[in-house]
Amino acid sequence: MSSETKQILTTDGIPLEVSLKKAEKKNKIKAFLLVAPLLLFLFITYVFPIGEMFTRSVDDRMVTNMLPKTFKAMEKWDGKELPPEEVFVGFYSDFKVLVENQTQGKLGQRLNKEKNGFNSITKKLMRQIKRNKIDESQSIKEQIMKVHKRWRDVEYWQAIKRTAPPYTMAKYLKGMDMYFAADGSIAQVDEDRRIHRILWLRTLEIALFVTIFCFLMGYPIAHLLATLPMKYSNLLMICVLLPFWTSLLVRTASWMILLQQQGIVNDFFVLIGLVADNNRPEMMYNKVGTYVAMTQILLPFMVLPLYSVMKTISPSLMRAGKSLGGTPFVAFWKVYFPLTIPGIGAGCLLVFILAIGYYITPALVGGASGTLISNQIAYHMKSTLDWSFASAMGLMLLSGVLVIYWIYNKLVGVDNIKLG
Amino acid sequence: MTLNSHFGVICLYKLIYIKRLNGGIMRKISKLILALSFVVSVTSSAFAVTVASWGGAYTDSQKQGYGDPTAAALGVDINWVDYSGGLSEIKAQKEAGAITWDIIDVFAFDTINGCDEGLFVKFDFDKDFPAAPDGTPASEDFFAPMPSECAVGNILYSWNYAFDTRAFDGKEPKTIKDFFNTKKFPGKRAIYKSALTNLEIALAADGVNMGKGGEFLYKKLEEEGGVDRAMNKIKELCTDPNGGCVFWSAGAQPPELLVAGEVVMATGWNGRFFNAEVGEGAPIKQVWHGQGLDYEYFALVKGGPDEANAKKALAMMTNTEMLAGSAKYIAYAPYRLSSLDIIKANEPWYKDGKTEMMPQMPTSPQNTKKYFLVDPFYWADNGTEIGEKWEAMKAGL
Repeated sequence: MSSETKQILTTDGIPLEVSLKKAEKKNKIKAFLLVAPLLLFLFITYVFPIGEMFTRSVDDRMVTNMLPKTFKAMEKWDGKELPPEEVFVGFYSDFKVLVENQTQGKLGQRLNKEKNGFNSITKKLMRQIKRNKIDESQSIKEQIMKVHKRWRDVEYWQAIKRTAPPYTMAKYLKGMDMYFAADGSIAQVDEDRRIHRILWLRTLEIALFVTIFCFLMGYPIAHLLATLPMKYSNLLMICVLLPFWTSLLVRTASWMILLQQQGIVNDFFVLIGLVADNNRPEMMYNKVGTYVAMTQILLPFMVLPLYSVMKTISPSLMRAGKSLGGTPFVAFWKVYFPLTIPGIGAGCLLVFILAIGYYITPALVGGASGTLISNQIAYHMKSTLDWSFASAMGLMLLSGVLVIYWIYNKLVGVDNIKLG
Repeated sequence: MTLNSHFGVICLYKLIYIKRLNGGIMRKISKLILALSFVVSVTSSAFAVTVASWGGAYTDSQKQGYGDPTAAALGVDINWVDYSGGLSEIKAQKEAGAITWDIIDVFAFDTINGCDEGLFVKFDFDKDFPAAPDGTPASEDFFAPMPSECAVGNILYSWNYAFDTRAFDGKEPKTIKDFFNTKKFPGKRAIYKSALTNLEIALAADGVNMGKGGEFLYKKLEEEGGVDRAMNKIKELCTDPNGGCVFWSAGAQPPELLVAGEVVMATGWNGRFFNAEVGEGAPIKQVWHGQGLDYEYFALVKGGPDEANAKKALAMMTNTEMLAGSAKYIAYAPYRLSSLDIIKANEPWYKDGKTEMMPQMPTSPQNTKKYFLVDPFYWADNGTEIGEKWEAMKAGL
């Protein structure tokens, strides 16, 4: 009885607790339904793709399924010298099935990505098999080795062995100029082919410097924008935004016209006698060109977050700082600057992340140094169709960005980012 | 070779949506999404043949030269869409089960890969394509044999070089050796950003006998140290204080760099040089010695929206008269030998009515005294590894 009296009932006789829960549940569902489209969107455009990229970068089941007998026979082979007859027989019978199904082209393509040169030797072998030139009563090893000299090269058989595991991290190693050697250890590729590490470093270097330049130039501009009277600041704002609305290629090409050796800037230098006509400085087709063009292109991404933060800082704070005895610099450094840190964080992260994925502009204005890691990704997407390697490098780039984000979080704190 | 900054992003998304995820449902959902996104283009092109090509002056020449006449003759619409090369887009379309292109204009390299991947229809050349007017079967009328069964030749273009006529006081470079001779012809050179054709000309300039169609060049490159020798020659040119290199990536760049005075010589595609020289009167001149002949092909997409009509249209577009038509608008040579007879008989063939086209054809006798045929098999085999070496070499400049 006593418990009944304690329980509070609503007017229709249902306990309040239950009724409240019911109402809350409804609200929760409503709230969830409101964000559901966004969640679904994030899932489709973000989580699912990244998962898919990851699967693709490690999935190597195609070869495993295409050459089952070969890999079975290879288990006993130590991988040091040319494989024994059984491996050749296994490979021959696997390959013959592929020729019958007309899928040997896919194998050739895949193996060519592992070691260049497979494309043509698998085609040659295919033609021999189609013309019934291989006599199965004789040594298969001898006959295959006769098809092309590369079939006599142990490196090619080692390459086939490397593709045996259905899932592999080999593409990630390749992105760091390394590979699994025949004995399973990790080895470096030949020195004259170690290109990816150079490209990673170069990409980081360019992104870092562009971010610094953008910050150095963007900070005063944003400050001016935030402090000038409305009629001037609007005009200045348009000056910042106008290039932002212009096509990337147009802006890049304009820089080429301005900065090349026979370009407008150099012509002007010669005209005012700053440099000799036959000794014009090179400002294009090298890193200088890349820095100038990319800094200009990415500058709005620095200015806008900085501006939106500076706009909210009351000018009376600086006045207060000065009236309390600080020099203008001290007032700026102790009062104004710390308040702008959220904008700096947002701007720098934004510029850095955009810069790290840039490739059209550097390719056009950067000369020999214009190839960045994203060029390599695009190359493998479009030309070699090595999508798994492209995925692996894309994920490496993504994790690089995440690491930087993490460092930033440790140093400054993510709560301190403000985009507006 | 055209630029498309968003291409990577688009590809990534396509890659993402499509392709086997282990579960069937996910696969169906992703297929549905992609299929929906293609629906608009599919429905709009249901009764027309869609050809994907490179755009610009080249597509204009294709459209005016043979696209429109074929469409009129067959009563089928032919739509031209631009793409930026490579097989990734058609691969994505196929994996999504929503193919929107019927015919693609591709490099030799891509026809080989596309054929291997099962993207393209295989041809029986003499049955599928009409004979020349004199009865020569199609397969014998082609300038060179097709690199794969999935390709039908369209044009031949040249990787030659041009120089700035103002640069050398009346002296004129004449051979491929002169391109590397910085003593006699000082000044910067513009070369293609990747190794393709650069290694070939470097070896030829280094004294390697090219052989007929350049076969010795590729033999040398296959040999131990051959690639390094070629790379050293390029490195020498680029680090020479009297020389130096600018790397171009878009076809429009070489003539622009020459006209702007940025470089004194530039390798490039002959059609672009022709447009600048004849079309716009730029002070440049082409050198054909040591040129690399390269090919452009059409491939028929397997399971395209209108395969039957596409096949008919393709056969007509690549017949003798039609191919000759495109040379009216651009300085690329028709793939069929018999087309050249039509041009010869009707000079001046260029659309301005006064320029003779035969001397501008990469295949004409005075231009093919020393040339090499760009070998798609060599590059299909070795492209990636050489590419890595090439970038490493460039990084050391």
